[in-house]
Amino acid sequence: MLGDSSKAQEVFHTTLREATLRAAQGQLPKEPFWLFRDARWRCLQATQAELQPEPLKLEEHDLAPQAASQIERLDSSQLAIWISSAPEPQRTALALFYLNEFDYGEILDLAELKLAELSRFLAQGRRQLQAWLNAKFPESRTV
Amino acid sequence: MKVPKLSRGQRALLNCAPFNQERSTDRAMRSTVARAAGSVELAGQQNFDRAVAELVRLIPVPPETAEWFLEEDLAVGSKLTWKKMVRNPAVVAISIAVVVIAGVFVFQLLGRLNDFPGSATARKLLTVAGSTRPVMLDPVSTEAGTLSDLFFMKHGLEHYDVPEEFADFRTIGCRVFDDEESRRVAQIWLAEKRMQLFLFPAERDAKTGAVLRFPGWRYIHQEGWAGAVTEHNGVCFMAAIRGGEKELAAYLPNKQ
Repeated sequence: MLGDSSKAQEVFHTTLREATLRAAQGQLPKEPFWLFRDARWRCLQATQAELQPEPLKLEEHDLAPQAASQIERLDSSQLAIWISSAPEPQRTALALFYLNEFDYGEILDLAELKLAELSRFLAQGRRQLQAWLNAKFPESRTV
Repeated sequence: MKVPKLSRGQRALLNCAPFNQERSTDRAMRSTVARAAGSVELAGQQNFDRAVAELVRLIPVPPETAEWFLEEDLAVGSKLTWKKMVRNPAVVAISIAVVVIAGVFVFQLLGRLNDFPGSATARKLLTVAGSTRPVMLDPVSTEAGTLSDLFFMKHGLEHYDVPEEFADFRTIGCRVFDDEESRRVAQIWLAEKRMQLFLFPAERDAKTGAVLRFPGWRYIHQEGWAGAVTEHNGVCFMAAIRGGEKELAAYLPNKQ
């Protein structure tokens, strides 16, 4: 989310320290995922102060039947960079969805999104990723 | 197969459809996925998502990030000091319990250290001494040493001899009675400091029947009374007095 390990570590420690203090004072929120939400907000605050990328209209393609084989050819760190370069809150939506640790209701709660928004971000993300895959592996389209 | 006609909400749900069976979902999602099950669109979307998730799983965690979780102090708390630990109610309660248990143990150990064959009977007789009234004894005014003959002649008690340390004291009364274990006990009341003397059978080995002897005089204490006990010819003699050992020590010059 930050693209900078030192900043990420600072957010990590600040979040944990804050959680420990709140636990010691018996003030932990009863709602689930507050720690994740807290960490996400700290990340967003940390990135707000930085230079923001210009909004870019990415190309979108329909999902191809051979998409799975295209993805297999992709390097995992390339995918990580692609997801991390997505604008917020699409980046959070894609990251949480593909982490496969939360169901859609939990993602809505965590990322503070509505169902229509999450749906749009995911559908758009898939189509944009497919376009990128098609550009990266053009020969696959003919298979 | 095409996706059947779905509402806008169901379309939105379908875009968020789980790509594996393990993830539990709510009823709305289950029903939407069930309606679209078998469609090419949903199958393609789930295959796509599965492939992406598989690749996401392979994204390496940077070593410096992995190190955060290896650190022992994820969030450093205040150190536990001795003062804090001592003030902890659980530690205080355990400490008190340990001290009490140790005290009881030491008390019992010290009590056992002074034990000797017949000490249990002697303690019971000290309780008897405390509850005896002069009217309960037959009035006899003589020297204590002469009562040995009376015990032998009248009650058939052999070797119920008063030691020479106490033989010359004048008596007020005496009696012979059976204790709880039907052993014959002779009790003499002296005029000297209202001292009481007891003669009772010495303890014997349960297997061989041999007398369990012990040398010299042994002190015991019970309910404010002190007793000095010695054994001779299978009979124990005890001089009992209200107070402590000091009162008795004056009569026992050669206490061992």
